[in-house]
Parts: sequence; C-alpha cells; structure tokens
Amino acid sequence: MTIGFTLNGEARAITCPPETPLVTLLRDNMAMTATKEACSIGRCGACLVLIDGKTANACLTMAFQLEGATVITTEGLDADPLAATIRKALAAENAFQCGYCAPGFVMALVALLKENPSPSEDDIRKGLEGNICRCTGYHSIIRGALSAARMVQETLK
Amino acid sequence: MEVVSPASLSQALALHTECESRFCAGGTALQLDWAKGLAKPARLINLARISELKAVTESAEAILIGPLATLSELLRDPAISGHVPLLHDALSKVAGPSIRNRATLGGNIAGMTGCLLPALIALDARLEWLTLDGPTEMDIAQWLAMHPKDGILTRILLPLQGQNERWLFRKIGLRAAFTPSVINAAARLSTSAEGDILDARLTVGGGIVPPTRLRQAEALLNGSNLKAINWRALHDCLMETISAPTDAFRSADYRKRIAANAIVHGLGGDLPGRKTFPVQSALASMPAQEGEIRLARENATAVWHQRPDIDAKISGNLLYLTDSRRSDMLVGRILRAGVPHARILSIDTSAAEALPGVAAVVTHRDINGLNAFGIVVQDQPALCFDTVRYAGDAVAAVAAIDSETAERALALIKVDYQPLPIVTDPEEALRPDAPSIHAGGNLQRELHFARGDIAAGFAGAAHIVETTYVTPRQMHGFMETEGGHAYVDDEGTLHMLAGGQHGGRDRMQLSRILGMAEDKIRVVTSPTGGAFGGKDELTVQPALALLALKSRKPVRLHLSRAESVLAGQKRNPMSIRMKTAIDSEGRLVAQKVEVLAEAGAYASLGPGVLETALEHAAGPYVIDNVRTHGRLAYTNNGVCGAFRGFGANQMTYAVECQMDKLAAACGLTAAEIRRRNLRKPGMAGYLGQLVAPTERADEMLAAAVNSELWTRPLGLAADEEWIIGTGMALNYQGNGLGSVVPDPSGGRLSLSRPGMIEGGFGLDELGQGLMTLVKATVAAELGCARDDVAAVIGDTARAPESGSTTASRGTYVVWASTRLAAPDFAGQMRSAAGRVLGREPNMLALAPGGFIERGTNSGDILLTYKQLADQLDEEDLPSVTVTYEFPKNDYTASNARLIFAFGAALARVAISRVTGEVRVLDLHQHTAAGPVMDLAAYLGQIEGGAVQGLGFTLTEDSPMREGLYLSANLDTYMLPGIQDAPKHMQSFALESLAEGDIYGPRGVGELGIGAVTPAIANAVFAAIGHMPTVTPFPTETILAALEEGQ
Repeated sequence: MTIGFTLNGEARAITCPPETPLVTLLRDNMAMTATKEACSIGRCGACLVLIDGKTANACLTMAFQLEGATVITTEGLDADPLAATIRKALAAENAFQCGYCAPGFVMALVALLKENPSPSEDDIRKGLEGNICRCTGYHSIIRGALSAARMVQETLK
Repeated sequence: MEVVSPASLSQALALHTECESRFCAGGTALQLDWAKGLAKPARLINLARISELKAVTESAEAILIGPLATLSELLRDPAISGHVPLLHDALSKVAGPSIRNRATLGGNIAGMTGCLLPALIALDARLEWLTLDGPTEMDIAQWLAMHPKDGILTRILLPLQGQNERWLFRKIGLRAAFTPSVINAAARLSTSAEGDILDARLTVGGGIVPPTRLRQAEALLNGSNLKAINWRALHDCLMETISAPTDAFRSADYRKRIAANAIVHGLGGDLPGRKTFPVQSALASMPAQEGEIRLARENATAVWHQRPDIDAKISGNLLYLTDSRRSDMLVGRILRAGVPHARILSIDTSAAEALPGVAAVVTHRDINGLNAFGIVVQDQPALCFDTVRYAGDAVAAVAAIDSETAERALALIKVDYQPLPIVTDPEEALRPDAPSIHAGGNLQRELHFARGDIAAGFAGAAHIVETTYVTPRQMHGFMETEGGHAYVDDEGTLHMLAGGQHGGRDRMQLSRILGMAEDKIRVVTSPTGGAFGGKDELTVQPALALLALKSRKPVRLHLSRAESVLAGQKRNPMSIRMKTAIDSEGRLVAQKVEVLAEAGAYASLGPGVLETALEHAAGPYVIDNVRTHGRLAYTNNGVCGAFRGFGANQMTYAVECQMDKLAAACGLTAAEIRRRNLRKPGMAGYLGQLVAPTERADEMLAAAVNSELWTRPLGLAADEEWIIGTGMALNYQGNGLGSVVPDPSGGRLSLSRPGMIEGGFGLDELGQGLMTLVKATVAAELGCARDDVAAVIGDTARAPESGSTTASRGTYVVWASTRLAAPDFAGQMRSAAGRVLGREPNMLALAPGGFIERGTNSGDILLTYKQLADQLDEEDLPSVTVTYEFPKNDYTASNARLIFAFGAALARVAISRVTGEVRVLDLHQHTAAGPVMDLAAYLGQIEGGAVQGLGFTLTEDSPMREGLYLSANLDTYMLPGIQDAPKHMQSFALESLAEGDIYGPRGVGELGIGAVTPAIANAVFAAIGHMPTVTPFPTETILAALEEGQ
C-alpha cells in the first residue's frame, strides 16, 4: 500500500504494509530516530508526534491512517518557535536525566501550550498524563513546563 | 491483512459481509489486542472516511453524537460539558490526552469493555445501529446484552441531564491516572425540588467488569427523599448485586466494595467503617541544624549548571546506542524459550538459515568460550544448550536484513523441548523434594550473622514486635530497553555498543564467552537511556556479539518492551521476618532477622543484594544482640538482580516500620525512640567493621523532627473520604561494592589534542549526570572552568578502568581520581606551559580559560589550553592515569561497607476510605552525603529515587503465574505517572563531613529511594493505625483495616 502524507513540511509517499506503525516507519524505514519507542502500545508517550496538530502515539498510528495527514515529528519541531521556548525552559531546569522520554514530553507540552498558553500546574499534570518518565520523579519536568509557560507569557506581553 | 477505507455506510457493510473482518474507528486498541496475541483479521475496515459518522449535533432534548467523534473533541465540546456533565467528567478520566485525540466514542462502545460504558448507561444513551436488515435504534444496555456482532454503530443519542440532578462518575484504577480500570461507577439521581428521588440510575463497568445497570439498588432509592436514604441498605444491596470478576490484580470482592463505596460516598452518603482515627501527637523539636540547604534552582542560581547533554536529549539529536542506523546494518532478534523449565532435545535452525534475507543464525554451537555468564557466579548460559530455566531464556538469535525477516526466521527455528517440573515459589524451591533448577540445588546462597545473646535480649524485653515484610518483583522500567549495535572492524576487533553499567566487566564477560582476547573487544556503554541496576549484568551483548562475528556485518538489536519484561532482570522479591525487642526505656535489646529472597532462574547479583540487605539489618541504630539469617532461592520465575537500593531499601522498610510499631507499643514518639537508639560517631558498623568517621543520623533525625510537614493538616479531610497522616523514616545506605569484592577504581586527567582538559573515566552516563559530575569535579580541583573540561566516559577504548557505575560509587571515583591525579597533572601542565611561555612553572596557575600568573587577580590569560595543546607533540600532552582500590575496611568475615550516607524521609499521605488507595501529598527528603558536587544532578537523584520508591511502595509489582509474567507491558505494569508523583516535594542536603574524614562526596544514586517506603508506611500507620507490611500496599487490606471497628 502506498500512503501519501506530509512529514515535517515535505510531501512523502511511502509503500509499506498498511498496518505498519508510524514509529516503525520513522525509526526503521526513514532512520528518523528522534522519535523514541519504549512500549509500542501507547502507554508511555515516548513516540508522540503531532498529526494534524494534535498529539498522537506513533506506535498506535498505522500507516493507512496517515493518508493525507500532516505529521510533525521531533525533528520537525526545530522550526517551531514555541517548541524552541519549551526546549530552552526544560534545558535550563535540567528537566531530564537519561532523556529517552524527553522528545515525547516536549511534544505533549507543545500541544498543551498551543491550546492553553497559561496552564496551571494542574493543567500541566493533566496534559502529561500519557507520558512516563522513569528517572526524574516528574517534578523537574513540571518546573520546566511552568517556566516555559512563564516564558510564553513574556513573549505574549 | 487488507485495509479498506469505504466512503459510505453501505459500502462498509457490504465489505464486512464478504470476509472475516473488523471495523476500525480510531484504532487505538488494535495494537494492544494484537500484542496480546489476538489474530489480525483478514480485512480491516477503516471507517474514518465516512464523514456522516463524525457529526455532533444538539436538539432540545438530546445531543446526537456521531460514533467517530473523538474523545478529545467531545471533552472540548461545550454542549457536552453544559448539558451532559457526567459524560464530560468521565471523558476527562479515560485514557490519556494523546489517546483521546484518536480514540472515538463509537470505539469505546463497540469494544464492549470501554471505560465510558457505565456513564453512557447511566445517561440512558440510545444507539442507532445499521445492519443489512436496515437501521434499528435501541437502549445501550439492551444493545450490550445482545452482544451484536454485525452492523455499524451510526449515532449515539444522549438525553440532556436535568437541572435537579445529583450525579457522579468515578474511575478507580491501578494508579492515579491513565490506568486500566479496576471498576468504574456512575450514578444519577433526578429529584424533585423537595429532594424526592424521581429516577435513579446506578451503574458499574469498565475493563473486565461487565457494564451493568444496578436496578435493585435503583429501586431502593426511587421514591425516597435525599435526606432519608438508608445508605447502609443501599451499600448492602450494591454489594449483593454488583457482579465483578477477580483477576491477577484485584479481587471480585474488592471491586464490588469500592464501587459500592464510590456510589454511596459520591451521592453524599455515609461510608461503612470508622470515621475516627488516631490523633497524631506533635513531635518535640530538636536543636536546629546548621548548614542544611534546600536543593532548588532558585536558591542556587550561581551553582546551577545546565548538563552538557541536555539540549541534544531534548531536541532528539542525541543518538542512543539503539538509534544507530546504517544501510548495511542487519537487525538482530533473540529466540526466547517461552517455557519456564524444559530440557532442550534438539535445535534445528536449517529453515531459518535458508530464509532469504537471513545473514546469520546463532546457537550455543557458535560459542567458542565459556557458555556462561554472571557477575558473581557464572550460572547463566549465553545461549541455552541443554536446559531452559525461565521463559525469557535465550536459545538462539538471528540477524537479517530487516525486523520482519528476522522475526519470520525466529519462527522457523525448531526447538524440541521436554518439559521439566517447575518451581515458582522460593519457599517451595527450598524443600528437599523440589525439582532442582541447578545442579547444586535451589539454595543459591545462605548467610548467617550473630552477635551477643538474642535469647537473653528477648527474655529481658519490655516489648517485642515481630512482623513479616514482603517486597515486590519491581521492574527497572528504564525507558530505553536493553539493546545496542555491534560490528567487527577490519582488524578483527569486535565493537560492542550497548547500554550497560560497566564496560570493563562487560568486556571481560564477553571475552570469556567468545573466547576472544579482551584487547580484541571494545565496549561502549554510553549514553544509556536509564539502567537503575537493570543493565549491570549482560543483557543482549552475548547474542549481539555472536551475530556480528558470524555475519561480519553491523547488527543492531533492541528489545521490545514485551521482550524486555519477559527476559530482563527485576528486583529480587524478599520476605523479611523481623523480631525486634526493646527494654522498658525504649532501647533496642535484641533483633532476629530472617530473609528469604528469590533469585529467579540465575544468580546474577542476587547474592550481593541479599548480603547488602543483611548488612543494613539494624539501620542507623545500635542493637547489641542480633542474629540474621538469609537465603537466596532459585526459581523458574524470571531473573532478578541489582536494582537501586540493592537490598538496603527493602531492609530499611522493615527496620523503620519496626521502629514506629515499637514506639506505639511503648508510648514513645517516633522521634524519641529513634533518638534513644541512634548510632554515635566513632562506633563500629553493624557487622563490627570500621566505618568512615562522618555520622549524620542525629542531624537527619533533628531535620525530620523539625520539619514543617508536621504542622500541615492531618486527620479526616472535609470531604470525609481522605484521611491524612504524616510519617518519617531514617536512611543509612552503604556506598561501594564492599570489603570482600575486588573494587578497582581509577581515572585519567589529560590534555587533548583539541585543547580540552579531559576527565577520562570508564563509568557510564545512564542519566544520572556523570558528564556534569566530571566537569564539575575536575574544574573545582584544577581551578579551570567547567567548559574547559570534557568528559571521556563509557568506552573501553578511550577511558581507563574505573569500576562499575553502581552502588553509589561513581561520585567518589570521579572525585578521588581527580584529587589523586590533579597535583601531577597540574604540574605537567604548568611545566609544559612554562616551557612555551618561557616562565617559571611554579609562577603559573590553571584558571578558567587558560594559565594565569600565580597570585595575580588580573584575569589575564597568558596561554589558553588550546594554545598549549597546539604547541605540544602528541607524546608531550600532559596525561596522568591513577588506579587504586575503592576505599574499604579490612573486614573479611563477610562483605561490609566503609562509607555510608545518611538521610531522612517524611511523607504526608492521604488514604481513601472509598478505595484504600494511598496518595502521597508531600514528600520531604533530608540527606547527608558530603559535599554536593552539582546541585541539579544531586537533586535529580533524590527526586527520581523518591518516585521510584513511591512506585515500589504503591503500584509496582510483576505478578507471575506458572513462571509467566502477568503484566507483559506498561499497560498493566504500573510505573508511577505524573499524577502519582507527590503533589509537593522538597529535598535538602547537609554537606559537612566530620573532621578527618578523607572520603569526600558520597554517592546519592541510592539514597533517594531508601527511606521513602517506610516513611509512607509509617504515615499510613499514623493515620489509620494499620501498618502496611506488603509492598506495593494491597489497597484491599488497607480498605479492610479502615472498615474494622465499624
């Protein structure tokens, strides 16, 4: 099956079995490894991407569901100013340790802050319910996210 | 599998009748189903293109929802939140944000087990349904009872909720959020203005609980007034009429009970069970401690540094060892036994080898060296040859052009097994008639220690507390599962790049297996995406090495989570029976400890874990009469080994809970009983061994006693559901491998060709911040800037042997090596710079950016490090390598530590009267581990350890049945999520060392996990008078304790 979709702004046509998970297409077929794979069943959030602007687990998204879709991966966030702010705030806070979950958390925060530029800690916790981090105990990520939200507020002033 | 995407309902129906097929809406459940072994259908009918299934419209009486509406669209829909608030609330509690973006309401219904079903039944949802016979409409409960197979859900009709309604939706899961459902309950009471109940709806469902309307209980309510409900009768009726199954995680009775509680409490009724709870007495304050700092960025802007790898990690640019991709790279896969105990009669790989695209198939026949590994004893085969001893045992491996081919090849390998009897319980494994898992029997290790006269101690006791504490088979749960890549270079050197915790030892073990000289093997272990002890032993390296050597091509191999669960190590489950006595003054007089630990199929570091547990059997307290006995048993359950805390945290749980139970028995406070029994400076260690002079147990107790947490609200909260209590525990954690284990350490300082001062250490960056530590330590010692320093780590070809990155030893190794090497290295640097500058070397000093004139503060750089390097020939570049043994005492009777770190944890917890669940509201950790080398890294270890400890305490276990894991993945293995993390956390450090203490900074890798469990347990004990003695705390037992004395 050949599927046409937009990946990080570029039109792509990919031939693969229709149920191939997007995470496999990215990591194995295209060697785009910024998207991480850690459970393959949608329970850790390491492989989050944006599909048509909303977060999606790349491991649950099958190739046939991508037809006509716009996909942004972690690599594609390099061009996004909001993502740059979030990354900067998380880095300043040393929000991550091993870092394997980090791209997924950034993706969830990009989606959260796009929808709600001034989230409370409660909003941040709700927005990150689908992401697992095993190293940090989450508080460094919450601090980084709150700091990112403050930085976004500054730019909106 | 064929996927078709019809544009209309009629097309979809027609396609469905042609062959065995399955409809797909959002498709979020399919991977889970397939992962559980459900066969893929011949045809998948994608409904996403049928636009008429997406609309959400509103009428005066109802909201009409197209089944393809996603849960997040509905969650954001003001019509839903305004007119059907019960559904809005339910939607917010189901799945996680990204799943809700794709999952549909129709899918949740048609899957028949959806978490929303009880809500929809309570809302009197009606479904429109299209079959070949035409459209029908029916009540959702009626539809569910029909178990419809054919047809498509076309619309969901939801009557609007009334103005005078009392309603609730509650999802109760295995953790706070994003969890499988234990049971969900929904209820609506429509009332008159006077409060007469006109119409009641009560439902349960979710997950394995059949979605059901509870009509008998509804009948009890209909017609009565809200103020006159007989809640007791309602609760009894719910208990009788709710039907729920038992599974590996929760019993039927518990499910019924919590659903009944949720309905009664949610509708405003009284819960069964007591409402009065112990009143916690205030602790007398102790003299305040000088010098403790709170670890926070805002308190420490000047010493807060960004870790060097953070940008690359956050942007996804950092290549983990499992991220390597090359066009000529093969994909490796390992064949696992799948059966827990069997004799191998034959292995036939011919069909796999013949499959096009397969480059190499390896079995035990390809092993030239010793087909056995293990850090302590070599009892685990690299690839099994005559016997498999657990279901995750590796039997063969393949390398192929892609993963599909590799997996097909695995399926073609034919292994004939003759099943052997299995033993899965450590107690049973030690019975004389148990089937033997290894030739020497199932008792892997037995350890004894005794001092004084415990019989006399117990005889003279005023109070004796005897308790058995049970701890779980916790999974490391590193986000990057085991894996990496390997290749053989033109000189025949094997390059093994795989996540690990001691490259030098991995190389030694590989050399032994492969029959290759160590200098023909290079091992790279950094960066590793989390380890926590679970990558200390070899994981994929033997199979990966054999595949690279046989295929002579680069091979990558990365375990799926499911394979990691099956094959990877876990924490050794333990049962700790502890009998502790105090005299009438509250002083400890005797203790007897009996530990039974499970090794699983192979020993790995289990013997060390058991020994460490026993070494911590008295915690930071003095007991004259002690006896400990520990046994480690083989079973056919998975493999166990090193895990952060390494036996000490399990034992600390027992010791610290005993202290609170003894305090309650004799009427002392938790603080006072500890104060009377603490170790004092100058005392020997528990085993009688010499210990480092710094003792901080007193200071940690004072910090805990003076904590502001004791002043926060306690007791029954205003909602009458949550009971709040605060508890504390002390922590005493040894550093290093111990006195009888070789523990070679070392490091190197050198000037690199590009002009960086390199700190070379054969340690691994696992996430803990090793690179930060190296930069911070070397810069502080030499006087240069952090940016002048490069960390060279985790590569046997580039860094010297430093020992393992375990046992909280890395911080000391970096600090001590740097201190040892610095004088000579700085001398070489100054000499070289002096020659270049034509100055007296002694008049030069190393400074940020380069050399300055000693004694000036002009800041003028006379020569940068790069300028110096540019002037020097390769062999003249300064370089100093040091080697030494990690500090230890001369105690040889058993393994004993010299260096200890100290801590105290305080937990303020809330316990639910509805479910028995425990949530941690506040967690404070006080630590004393010597100088803080990097504040952010130190804080990260304390916070991260805390939440791992919280998981160990509240949610994490790997139940097994017949040698097979019942949690195959992260859908039911409950790593703490963000909502499980404490609401508030604070961490503190006391940095001072005793005079004459030469051991510098202690590692804090394990300190953060040590006292969390008993602090939480003691908080529960304080709040409700029940001490949880099993971790993770069984919610059912806590709920039963809450209902006692009703």
